[in-house]
Amino acid sequence: MIPFQFRLERRLERKWWYGVLTPVLSVVAALIAGGIFLSIEGFNPWTVYRELFEASFTTRFGFTDSVTLAIPLILTGLSAAVVFRMNIFNIGAEGQLYFGAIFGSWAGLALADGMPWVIGAMIVLVASAIGGALWAAPAALFKAFFGTSEIITTLMLTFIALFFMRYLIFGSDSYWRDPETTNFPQGRRVPIGARFPLWSDTRLHWGLVVVLLIVVLVWVMIRYTRVGFDMNVVGSSETSARYAGISAKRTVIVALLLSGGLAGLAGGAEVAGRAYALDPNGLELGLGFTGIVVAALARYNPFGVVVVAVFIAGLQNAGVALQGLPGDRVPVEVSLMLQGAILLFAIGGEVFSQNRLKITRTSRRTTTVDGAAEGATA
Amino acid sequence: MSDDQSGPETTPGPAAAIRAESVTKRFPGVLANDRVDFHVEVGEVHTLLGENGAGKSTLAAMLCGLYQPDQGQILRAGSPVHLRSPREGLHHGIGMVHQHFRLVDRFTVAENVVLGDPYQASLLNQREIDGRVGELGDQFGLPVEPRARISDLTVGQRQRVEIVKMLYRGADVLLLDEPTAVLTPPEVDALFETVRAMIAVDKAVVFISHKLGEVMAISDRVTVMRAGVVTGEVATADTSPRHLAELMVGRPVEVATRRGSHADDPDREIGIAGRGLKLSQGGQVLIDDVDIEVRRGEILGIAGVAGNGQRPIARALAGVVPPDEGTVTICGAEVTGKGPKAARRAGLAFVPEDRLGTGLVPDLSLTDNMLLTRPRGFFVDRRSARAEVAEAIDDYEIKTPGPDAEARLLSGGNAQKVLLARELHGLGEPDGPQALVVSSPTRGLDIGAAEFVRGLLHEAREKGAAVLVISEDLDEVRSLADRVAVLYRGSIALEGQTDDLDLDEIGLAMAGFGRGAS
Repeated sequence: MIPFQFRLERRLERKWWYGVLTPVLSVVAALIAGGIFLSIEGFNPWTVYRELFEASFTTRFGFTDSVTLAIPLILTGLSAAVVFRMNIFNIGAEGQLYFGAIFGSWAGLALADGMPWVIGAMIVLVASAIGGALWAAPAALFKAFFGTSEIITTLMLTFIALFFMRYLIFGSDSYWRDPETTNFPQGRRVPIGARFPLWSDTRLHWGLVVVLLIVVLVWVMIRYTRVGFDMNVVGSSETSARYAGISAKRTVIVALLLSGGLAGLAGGAEVAGRAYALDPNGLELGLGFTGIVVAALARYNPFGVVVVAVFIAGLQNAGVALQGLPGDRVPVEVSLMLQGAILLFAIGGEVFSQNRLKITRTSRRTTTVDGAAEGATA
Repeated sequence: MSDDQSGPETTPGPAAAIRAESVTKRFPGVLANDRVDFHVEVGEVHTLLGENGAGKSTLAAMLCGLYQPDQGQILRAGSPVHLRSPREGLHHGIGMVHQHFRLVDRFTVAENVVLGDPYQASLLNQREIDGRVGELGDQFGLPVEPRARISDLTVGQRQRVEIVKMLYRGADVLLLDEPTAVLTPPEVDALFETVRAMIAVDKAVVFISHKLGEVMAISDRVTVMRAGVVTGEVATADTSPRHLAELMVGRPVEVATRRGSHADDPDREIGIAGRGLKLSQGGQVLIDDVDIEVRRGEILGIAGVAGNGQRPIARALAGVVPPDEGTVTICGAEVTGKGPKAARRAGLAFVPEDRLGTGLVPDLSLTDNMLLTRPRGFFVDRRSARAEVAEAIDDYEIKTPGPDAEARLLSGGNAQKVLLARELHGLGEPDGPQALVVSSPTRGLDIGAAEFVRGLLHEAREKGAAVLVISEDLDEVRSLADRVAVLYRGSIALEGQTDDLDLDEIGLAMAGFGRGAS
């Protein structure tokens, strides 16, 4: 038997810096764990990590590429953050993103021709937000009125959206498909008026400014508006909400539509800033699912989402860059493995930020009552 | 046992049935028990008396093996024992009957009695168990039907099952944690008969309570605790309720009877009116044709054993659930089925029985909780709410780190104070609350806080509010209310001026023997 007893006790007070320390420590722990695997595989972890950081953060192109990829991740991260903090699990941001892209590219193709980008790209974004919200609507309504689990419905809707998007480009002569290309079908490219201009010679586009604005708006909404207040109440205690006359149904619907809209925006931002068309291959990157990881690591804080999104985007970009290393090729999966490890350690770390570990020595002394002995002494 | 040579009255002095020697138990931030000495002789009822949070339950938990003391030791019949679990406690003949029963609803009485018994054979001998349960029931005045399902039993019957369970497992030391809290007066009498039968066969009983009357009636000795330490140990014969109360609170208390100064005025406007209220849920009738009228400047007390419709009535009047039939009128405005916000606009404030989780949102700050029932614009106005909390912390002496602390960190008494501060805000002003529905206002509060809360309710009445107090504490209802209504199975079994009703009449009505009931 181990002479120690381990027990978790719930922390009564949580210091604010636990929220920063947990993700930072989990990244460090993940790097150490990843380093062990890299060593076993015969790589020098230092070289790999240095290469990785150079590829994604410390060089100009590396960093701007990371930020570019972070733009949709920030939006899907927000999408998850606004509902996950209410214990509503919209895991269908992926599908809502596709629908956002479908709506956004339609708006770009149909309306934005000849417009200045400030208006045209905004039209794309608004349409994509509507598309994403619409794709979340069935899950929202079913949850509010029938209590159907949103985890199931949003996931199933994702597959419908995925195959619908593929059908539009690969399986039909739809409005979205480029009529010029026949042997390898592609999406029709949106006009210049629907595209965010790039920053100098990088791939970073003006969508970043819009996205940061949205981050601030979401934060203000959660923190300072009645809608956000009601969401906090409903998320924390539905009984309290009913007592206070706050409609849980309405709040749940609003929250899920908002979440869907944000995921849809990510699709619109990709269309207007990077893909310039409804491009299934360019959109099927798992941005929606990664958004869940981003939100969780950011502890559902909108500003945290920005930082984490850039970091995760960097890791994903580095995966590709690592392939170009001289000598033995470092597998792309290293960055995926690191992502997984970070999430794992972050979840573990969360346990310790909410509880503290108490270690006590277990005493081996046991005594039993001896009734007969007592009788004898009497 | 070979104590026949000693006299019938004198038990061997040092070997108490169970003894705690200078036990100390700490929880994060709390010294729950500080060098507590406590012992129970064989054949005696020893009461552990103290306010909520005084450390009685912690001590009892250590005596039965649920907690282990940080320092000090437990002695059973003179020998030190190290109890690492309640099962080990039972092995040493120590059994605890918890306030919240540990019974499986879908199992029968007999199944519950043998559940988890390490000495039970793998194959149950149903007839033998039934026989033994019946025997124990006869011996100790605990009539239970072995084959009955727990879900079909009343609360009082379930408690009997718990006691039989402990006796069946061979418990000689029984710890009863607030056993009378859930019982009707006749059931309390029956329980006391059982306790007497147990001590007659040399069992030892620890009776945990804060109800002075019962303590005086049943116990041989009383140990009083306050804030984790023992403040006195007295023989019941040598003490008085007043003395015990002083030991408990640390100062003399008055349980004052207060009546409203305008209670008899029939011209006063009706603040809360429910007429012909009916409510069913899943085929179960919760409220059965209830008429309630509370005038401004009056307190109507609703008494009754828990689960007889108190909660649904409060919720229906406050607009949280729409009644199936009947109307609700608050200060002249009909608000039936219009929701809690409409009831509040008409002038109602509502203090629900569950503080954290209903009245307060545990994960939100005190400031945000202050805003929960306020009308809100598009933006949330935290500044005034924060000021309000700061004021309440001073006025109500709320113990909390500050307005930004989460509500879940509040103790029960402080949570109730925050809740009342919010609901009573603006009382007496034209746009403040004119009518109050208050459920279990002092449940779980210590005597000092309870007295404070009753003072607030009295003050609300004097300021002209119509107050409906729903409480399972009969003494409280009788001391506070101008009129009393007794609920039994969703309808009013008895109603009248408090001073015209005697205790027996109310007790009978609570047990279902009121007027009109058969």
